[in-house]
Amino acid sequence: MKTGRMRGGTPPAAVLETMQANDWIEKHVRTLFTLPALVFVVVMVAFPLGYTVVLSLRDWNLTTGSAPRWVWLGNYASLFADARFWAAMGRTLAFSFGAVAIETVLGVAVALFLNREMRGKNLTKTLFLLPMVATPVAVGMVWLLIFEPTIGLANHMLGLLHVDPQPWLTSRKTALVSLMLVDVWQWTPIIMLVTLAGLAILPRDPYDSARIDGAGPVQILRRITLPLVMPTVLVGILIRLIDALKTYDIIYSTTQGGPGESTETLNILGYVLGFSYFRMGLGAALIVLFVLTVTAVSLLVLALKNNVDRRVGW
Amino acid sequence: MRAGNRWILVVLAATLLVPSLMAKGQKEAGDKSRPYAGTTVRCVFPVHPWTDGVKKMVPAFTEATGIKVEIEELATDPMSNKIAVEFNAKSTNLDVVYVRPLNETKLFGLNGWAADLHPYVDGDAAFDVKDFADATIQSLTYNGKLLGLPTTTEHQILYYRKDVLEKAGLQVPKTLDEMMAVAAKIHDPANGFYAMVNRGKKNIAVTQFSSYLHSFGGEFNEGDKALIDTPEAIKAYKYYTDLLRKYGPPGIVNFSWPEAAALMAQGKAGMFTDADAIYLNVVAPDKSTVGDKIGFAVFPAGPAGSKPFNVCSGAIGVGNFSKQKEAAAQFVKWMTSKAAVMELQVAGNSGARKSVWANPESTKSWPKELVEVVNKSNELGVGWDRPRVINVTQARDIISEPILVGFEGGDVEASAKKAQAAFQTLIDGEKK
Amino acid sequence: MPRNRTLRLFGSVMSYLLLAVILLVVCFPILWMLLASFKTQVQIQSPEHLFLFTPTGKNYAAVFQNYDFLKPILNSFIVAAGSTLIGLVIGLPASYAVSRYRMGTLGALILMIRFLPGITFLIPWFTIFSRIGLIDTYTALILSHLLINLPFIIWLMVPFFDAMPKELEESARVDGCYTVESFRRITLPLASPGAITGGLLAFVFSWNNFVFSMVLCGGRTKTLPLAVFNFVSYALIDWGALMAASVVITLPVLAIAFLTQRYIIQGLTAGAVKG
Repeated sequence: MKTGRMRGGTPPAAVLETMQANDWIEKHVRTLFTLPALVFVVVMVAFPLGYTVVLSLRDWNLTTGSAPRWVWLGNYASLFADARFWAAMGRTLAFSFGAVAIETVLGVAVALFLNREMRGKNLTKTLFLLPMVATPVAVGMVWLLIFEPTIGLANHMLGLLHVDPQPWLTSRKTALVSLMLVDVWQWTPIIMLVTLAGLAILPRDPYDSARIDGAGPVQILRRITLPLVMPTVLVGILIRLIDALKTYDIIYSTTQGGPGESTETLNILGYVLGFSYFRMGLGAALIVLFVLTVTAVSLLVLALKNNVDRRVGW
Repeated sequence: MRAGNRWILVVLAATLLVPSLMAKGQKEAGDKSRPYAGTTVRCVFPVHPWTDGVKKMVPAFTEATGIKVEIEELATDPMSNKIAVEFNAKSTNLDVVYVRPLNETKLFGLNGWAADLHPYVDGDAAFDVKDFADATIQSLTYNGKLLGLPTTTEHQILYYRKDVLEKAGLQVPKTLDEMMAVAAKIHDPANGFYAMVNRGKKNIAVTQFSSYLHSFGGEFNEGDKALIDTPEAIKAYKYYTDLLRKYGPPGIVNFSWPEAAALMAQGKAGMFTDADAIYLNVVAPDKSTVGDKIGFAVFPAGPAGSKPFNVCSGAIGVGNFSKQKEAAAQFVKWMTSKAAVMELQVAGNSGARKSVWANPESTKSWPKELVEVVNKSNELGVGWDRPRVINVTQARDIISEPILVGFEGGDVEASAKKAQAAFQTLIDGEKK
Repeated sequence: MPRNRTLRLFGSVMSYLLLAVILLVVCFPILWMLLASFKTQVQIQSPEHLFLFTPTGKNYAAVFQNYDFLKPILNSFIVAAGSTLIGLVIGLPASYAVSRYRMGTLGALILMIRFLPGITFLIPWFTIFSRIGLIDTYTALILSHLLINLPFIIWLMVPFFDAMPKELEESARVDGCYTVESFRRITLPLASPGAITGGLLAFVFSWNNFVFSMVLCGGRTKTLPLAVFNFVSYALIDWGALMAASVVITLPVLAIAFLTQRYIIQGLTAGAVKG
């Protein structure tokens, strides 16, 4: 291949082409950078979502073998009329809000406690990571053992405190709460870490002025620390709420929605409708309603956060 | 391009082409006797002693036919779910599936999910499809199509601890009333010993409950009529739940057959009613510490007599969308052939072939008592252990609700009436 | 004054004690999992043997012999590494563009993917992948895991790029460098802490994923969470073996967390903290 040397005048064709190519790329760099992600979203997300929405408008019951027919909002009507749906909705909201509320209180409390000069802070933060990164299926297994009514540690501990042994995951009354306990154990650390990070970058001025004014520690906490760190905590709560609403692995690997239906959240019910009862259209409708629920909750928390942001003056 | 470069390319291409040509050649050499050699057949099977037996026979199959076998083993419910998802998406590499005739024949038939096996077995005298018990073939036939070949038959029997009963000076219970009395006497929770263990997990318990239901004279449904709130049914619900609530282990509500069998195998339970097909989990030395102390008896009689179930609980079929139906069919036929069923039965799996049952060799390593019990149960048995509808899973969920309520000590009768209404709605919905 | 000092010492000791208790509660289940994996069935059941027992390797032997765990480990690794790499390759340029060109809507759209539960995709994906013969392949699994990794990487990196000073890039532009070049030569090296964090966390999420594997895996590509779940049916009440299997599956991510904790903590808390 002959390499041309630039001597002035127009460059050889090959180089011109490269230059034009580069110009073209430069002009469209924004599209090129985002194109793969966009393609992924369209193919892997938008299409399946569309498919699910369309499916939700049809009655496709594999057990009757008949062709799917259009029922428009019929599936949604069936769900709204079904007590099992509302029970699942109630459980999902109770589980999520309950667990996240406890995680917030505990997480913020521990973060406040740790927000000081103390040794071993890094080690502490590392250890707090462990519950969050541990594989949920494995976590489920360990808690199955801990909650085992006869040989598990949970009842053993209760016995030491002279409390009656509990059925934990084996009774309809206690199963959901037991799973909430597992969720609290696993995810309080994220609230703790987020709050700690938020506390670390708080400005010093408000504190200095407060101390000069003679404010006590409780007042400082209530009037300065908590309001200032609340926006950060709210982001943590938002992320946690969305994930809690979608909890699946822990529930499926331990109780699969049982005993009875006492741990059947919307997610699990969707799976049951579609893959155990083969009511595909109904399952799709439930998924759509579920997504709407998650969106609604998120918008609520976001609105709250904007409110708090404004008041704090970010 | 320089001459040297071109030459290298040629050499490279040659080295790539030659092996592939050679491979093709090898395949053709073995073609005549092994038409499907080189293919891989994918099977989805449940965790079950039968699957263990089949896995041991796979090397011989691959050696003889050149067909490789991949077995995916899952727990029963996830297995059915997975198969449903794959069929729904018309998966082309779902080759061999485990079929639970009483749960899935109608479902598979209506949707055209399983291939018709008649072309593969009709006229094959050596295979002798008529050797299978008629009821089992019937339970796998839909609209004249044979959707699977039976692999396992089951009867509900009573497992019990001979030594425990002896020590308490008790006889083996022959009626359900006697069983309740025996349980009361040997229940010893303070020492971690529970008189009775059974399945308690939601819809999984329904099949075992069926024997109790039938022995009280009740039934799930007759044609289009749901029957789970009749006086007989309510008596059966109350009996089953009283028995296990008073004399069973805590957490019974989460017990599937593996957990219940394991409790028995670890010597912690006195009596256990379940399918004979899982006896290995209760007595085999590698699984059980009390294997030699286990006795077997016919299911005790209720007011309507002793009516344990006697069903074909498992079969294997070929996926209708599979691209390798012939190879898959060859595997299916192999594992249900007279020789294979004999081998499996010797290892403890109760198959569905009349000739194998007639041959005393097949059960010679089984506990003698068990063989007697099985033979007796064959005469008494009811041919189904679950509601005869299409959406069996949902029906089983509905029917299991009064059982859960009973375990909690709640109002079984009220729950049964609610379940009856839901069940009737389900049946009516299927007629449309 | 001596009394103040004693008081402060006392308070200090109490704080550390409280800290120790908290840490014990946090770590105990994992510790228990580790301990139990070395115990026999009898020892697990008797509380006297909580800490005093002779460890046995039988459980691990059972896990690796009776149930082939090596293949699932390899599968999990390949899928996690693959989806992490591709997530970064697609996500880094995309986040950069969203940040630099203020493509807020696209960013928001991608982030909203987080609202969708996994089961939304099971049937449609299975249908598509089945038709093109991708079931039981690493490709299908990697693509499915991207659903979680890609939005996360973008959520992490957009604020990162936002906070990055533009001066270096701008001077490179003045020198006649194309954006692609400046991205490669200047931006990416500067972004490496964030990219490493994103990569580590993406790997962890992928390793832990269960739902997608349930449906998209076959015999050949079975990942660890699925293998453990199936193992339950074998192990039944053999808790020792079950704990051993749980340790096997959790150990890699726990190790990663320990070794790279600074990155991981930053990744998890970033975006929540302003400034």
